[in-house]
Amino acid sequence: MSEEILKALTQLFAIISKQDGGVTEGERDFVISFFKKELDAKTVEEYLTLYDKASDYGVKEVVLAEGDGGKQKTKKKLTNVKDSVRTLGLCRKINKTLNQKQKVVVLIKLLELLAADKSFTPQRMEIINTVATVFNVPAEEYKLIERFVIEEHSSKIDNEDILIFDDERPPEGSKIKYIDSGLLDGEIIFIRIKSVALYFTKYTGIDEIFLNGMPIKMGSILQFAPGSVFKTPKGAPLYYSDLVSRYNSDKQADRISFNVHDLEFRFPNGDIGLRNINISENTGQLIGIMGASGAGKTTLLNTLAGLEKPSKGKILINGYDIFLEKAKIEGVIGYVAQDDLLIEDLTVYQNLYYNAKLCFKDTPEEELDTKVINVLTSLGLDRIKDLKVGTVLNKKISGGQRKRLNIALELIREPAVMFVDEPTSGLSSRDSENVIDLLKELSLKGKLIFVVIHQPSSDIYKMFDKMFLMDTGGYPVFYGNPVEALVYFKKASGQVDSENGQCNTCGNVNPEQLFNIIESRIVDEYGEFTNKRKVAPSEWHKHFKEKFTLDRKDDFNEEPPKTLKIPNKVHQTIIFTIRDFLSKVSNTQYLVINLVEAPLLALLLALVIRYRGAHDDSYIYRHNDNIPAFILICILVALFMGLTVSAEEIIRDRKILKREKFLNLSKSSYLLSKVIILFSLSAIQTLSFVLIGNTILDIKGLNLMYWIVLFTVSCHANVLGLNISSAFNSAVTVYIIIPLLIIPQMVLSGLLFDFDKLNNSLSERGKVPFVADMMISRWAYEAIAVEQYKSNDYQKNIFEFEKRESQYNFKVAYWIPKMQELLTSSLSAYETGKNDSTIKIVEENLNIVKSEMAKDLYTVKFSEFPFDSVKNISAENFNDKVSSLIWYHLEDASNYYSINLAQASDAKDSVLYVMKKALPEGSDLADFKDHYYNDQLEDLMKNSSAEERIDIYKGKIIQIIDPIYQDVYYPDEPLNYRTQFLAPDKPFLGSSFNTFGFNISVIWLLTIALYATLYFDALPKIMEFIPSLTSKFPKKK
Amino acid sequence: MKKLYLLFFAISSFWACSSNSAPSNETENQMATASAIPEEASIVKVDDDIINDILQSIPSPLEISLLIKEVGSYYNKADLNDHNKVSSYSTNFDKALNLGIYGTDLGYSNIYNKNQDALNYLNSVQNLAEGLTIGQFFDYATLKSLAESADQNLDALLRTTTANFEKINYHLRQQKREHLSILLLTGGWVEALYLTTLVHQRTNNEVLREKIGEQKIVLDRILLVLEVYKTRNGFAELIADLKKLQAIYDQIEIETVYEEPTMVEKDGVLVVVDNTKSVVNITDRDIDTITSLTKSIRNKIIN
Repeated sequence: MSEEILKALTQLFAIISKQDGGVTEGERDFVISFFKKELDAKTVEEYLTLYDKASDYGVKEVVLAEGDGGKQKTKKKLTNVKDSVRTLGLCRKINKTLNQKQKVVVLIKLLELLAADKSFTPQRMEIINTVATVFNVPAEEYKLIERFVIEEHSSKIDNEDILIFDDERPPEGSKIKYIDSGLLDGEIIFIRIKSVALYFTKYTGIDEIFLNGMPIKMGSILQFAPGSVFKTPKGAPLYYSDLVSRYNSDKQADRISFNVHDLEFRFPNGDIGLRNINISENTGQLIGIMGASGAGKTTLLNTLAGLEKPSKGKILINGYDIFLEKAKIEGVIGYVAQDDLLIEDLTVYQNLYYNAKLCFKDTPEEELDTKVINVLTSLGLDRIKDLKVGTVLNKKISGGQRKRLNIALELIREPAVMFVDEPTSGLSSRDSENVIDLLKELSLKGKLIFVVIHQPSSDIYKMFDKMFLMDTGGYPVFYGNPVEALVYFKKASGQVDSENGQCNTCGNVNPEQLFNIIESRIVDEYGEFTNKRKVAPSEWHKHFKEKFTLDRKDDFNEEPPKTLKIPNKVHQTIIFTIRDFLSKVSNTQYLVINLVEAPLLALLLALVIRYRGAHDDSYIYRHNDNIPAFILICILVALFMGLTVSAEEIIRDRKILKREKFLNLSKSSYLLSKVIILFSLSAIQTLSFVLIGNTILDIKGLNLMYWIVLFTVSCHANVLGLNISSAFNSAVTVYIIIPLLIIPQMVLSGLLFDFDKLNNSLSERGKVPFVADMMISRWAYEAIAVEQYKSNDYQKNIFEFEKRESQYNFKVAYWIPKMQELLTSSLSAYETGKNDSTIKIVEENLNIVKSEMAKDLYTVKFSEFPFDSVKNISAENFNDKVSSLIWYHLEDASNYYSINLAQASDAKDSVLYVMKKALPEGSDLADFKDHYYNDQLEDLMKNSSAEERIDIYKGKIIQIIDPIYQDVYYPDEPLNYRTQFLAPDKPFLGSSFNTFGFNISVIWLLTIALYATLYFDALPKIMEFIPSLTSKFPKKK
Repeated sequence: MKKLYLLFFAISSFWACSSNSAPSNETENQMATASAIPEEASIVKVDDDIINDILQSIPSPLEISLLIKEVGSYYNKADLNDHNKVSSYSTNFDKALNLGIYGTDLGYSNIYNKNQDALNYLNSVQNLAEGLTIGQFFDYATLKSLAESADQNLDALLRTTTANFEKINYHLRQQKREHLSILLLTGGWVEALYLTTLVHQRTNNEVLREKIGEQKIVLDRILLVLEVYKTRNGFAELIADLKKLQAIYDQIEIETVYEEPTMVEKDGVLVVVDNTKSVVNITDRDIDTITSLTKSIRNKIIN
């Protein structure tokens, strides 16, 4: 109390006491004892002098001695007016500094002053009444306080805010509340002052009664603060919490019983984390869980909240097992983790609002807004509601505010049972007190709240209704009143003053002491502490079991009340998406970097590779040798951007995800919202990349195609990134993983390394190896390259003719000569004689010839060649005749293909002439080609640098040149899709698909597969599996 | 589940798109219309063998190149076609004509031992031949080694080139693509004539002058064959251009002066020497006109 206030109070005392007959000794004594409580001995003198002077102590005696009654009266009246003015002035001064609770305390002190001598004269009462009005104490309440102070017995006050602690029940029909005290002289009367939630008490009997270990004087009025305990000689002690719950008993809406039966929890490695836990509670309690570090506090909390499954025992809420009947208790339990569950880039209001939106599906917008504002106001967060939450490092709001907001997230949906993990860790003592105060208030409103608390201050400690203490190894060692805990342990350890749980003078308790006792260690002969404990946890537990019996509350067999109404999955997705969107938009740095990254890269890349041929006057797209590499880089950029933008997503949200899982929110909605946001971002990124890159490099008419491929790739990378971020626990790991994913994509894209020239165990000539089929880059590269070559404005009209030309030409120029070569080499092999080795050669050759002819269009469709008889040819019956039969057939085929080749070639020429005519005056086909056709790409697509153009591999003739013109069919294998790299079309399910569409579909299919692994947590499960493998390793040793 | 359906829908629509464009009837039709080329044979029925004989009788451009070198003219790269221009020839017509031109240039630069240029022209030749799907008939390996070797092996060069052209002609005839053969020859001839006129302009050499005049016969033969294909794209214009040249040549007379053959002993063997000479009567103005006309025809082809 400040000097100023004390002075003001002293004067108030004086003004009151000098009215109507002046200061009595009793009053003066009361004032003195008040000063003694607040001040040291020396200052007491000083203030007493002030009091005496102001109250005319001594002066009055002179006046009395004069005995002039009439004079006295007039004087008194004058004084009265003057005093009233002074009183008002003093009250205003007090109003400015004291809060409402303190003002009520002052008011009661004033009344108590009168009670000291029981001189409740009208004058005095009037002044106090004035004070009450100025202090804004509601009139009703003031009246009640007045009665409480004045009346000697409770029977004269009939009010619901009065409670008696007595051996006698109040009369029938009385509103007075009652708690049985056991045999007691007089009665202990309590008053609740509703407006400030304070409780005062007075005792009217002569028994020796202790409040917090201090004997109390009859008739004195005392505040019954949180954590207080009354002890009467005969009956059970009365705890603050009992009192409060008695007061609140009639207004409790939620009927909740919480019963824990013989709970045991084992860690995955078999160690016991919790044992023999029994708890039984009704609503309206604030229960603390304390224990040495590693005692299993958080494990207990998590198990009680249903996050961890116990190995034994059950937890019942209103008789429903929280693990077996989840549906019944959905939304009943609230859990506030120790970690922040806030979305950093959203404001305080937005955090709470979107959380609320996910909890209440039918609540109209306005009501929801009111609800959010109300909760924020009640938590004192309304002033900062538009501030961004920020990170722990980049603080925008204080730690206490963060914590309160975290609690608000749960609070808004009003769960009946709440579990709070270390809400005060890292907070200032003031913030800690605020937070626990808030929880206390909630419990008083009828919630059951469990709080894991670490090193609480005395005030906080006393606020708990009950304390559950745990010792190392998951042993419960105490469950009951917090202050009693100290008494219990002091007693058990045989300490002196064991009856006193708290300091007799200041009322403080020292929770530290508890653990000092519980964990006290044996001292060796040198006076050093050993590592051995005096009392082992199991002994404490045994002791606890002997001393305490659980007061088992009955299960209410009714469904617990719930307010949670979760919206359907579509709505959840929408809410998640909006929330994520707002969060991302508000992070300017993130937004700018993500939007600028792609155009910047495109600009850089395109400018660097915008190569002008040595003989060109200006840049010509056709002569830019870098186009094939450009395609690869585009794909890698899309992959990279897609991965980096998504790789941290789930890591960041993991805690929030855990909580949302707790709320039974849909995981797929969450994932889908991520996908929507990331895909949209990828769409924008890839579009800007393509537009800028292609414009600079003068790639015309292919923007849409490029965009579709890059977007597809980026989306795939997004989902891949989400997978990674769901599996790994830190961003650093994720960024180490990224090269591991990207580099194989580069290596197996098909451009850097020839698929035919990979490690022989991987590659298969004439086909894309299986490992490469796993690579998105290969599908994407093929899609762009083939489409860019096939469908550019120049080539699209003649592609089909060129294809035929190439196919016929291959037959005529390479295939038929090769076949003929096989025949001649077979014949010449036989010239040296038929033996095993020559038969083998001939057999191999004939097999090739037969299988190739079976695939040959002319042989199968157009000739009258007796193919069936050829089938029967074997190395045994092969001879000149057979050879020449086939030979001449091949000659026919050659003629057939030659003629077709000529036709295709002519047809192509005709189309070119048509195109030429369609060109505007002054430009020729070459100019047109310059803009749409790329020579380097042509080289790639035709593989024209290949030395060998045809080869025999595994019994087949392999075409090495012109992959882009080579059709592949597998009439007998509908599921075979494999072709050479850069094939124009893909065979599948008996028909042929355009490579572009096919490859895009493949990537999307792979993306869906990745989404499935994401949804089913495949990667995280594998990640969990790996350490469990390695952990078994050293054990075996 | 809903979203899965959506994705499936998206993918199946992709497939739907892609399968539409797979084996196309459209291209089939396009091809049908495009190949509706009037049968050249129906207009002027010329026996394939006759055409072949004519083609065979046209001398290799290499001979002219050799002649030029013998005259003692220096090598001027600018006289030849730019090897980079290869990429600007799109149609078979252009490709075939310019393949002829590059063929001549290849031989010319090779004769002068300009290895880098020869390799460049070899690349151009290869490029065009591939484009005409006759690449397999060029013996690049041999041509390359010839071009790269420092010592002259003109016989081998001549032999290889001739063999190549024979193979190509044969192949093209088999494919009923003789029109490409004649274009190839025409290109080669035009370039050779162009070079001759160019060098003649510089040197005023009599031998060259006569050689230019002698081309009258070659031109007549070439035109005879070209006429067969005049309905094909591009031919009409080429024929018209060459006919202008023919008009000039028509004014030139080639007289054959007959003289008794003589017997000469050579290495101990008696050899009959034919002393009949052809005399070309050609005026300076004619030469000038031919020079400028050839230049314009040649430039039209290469551009």
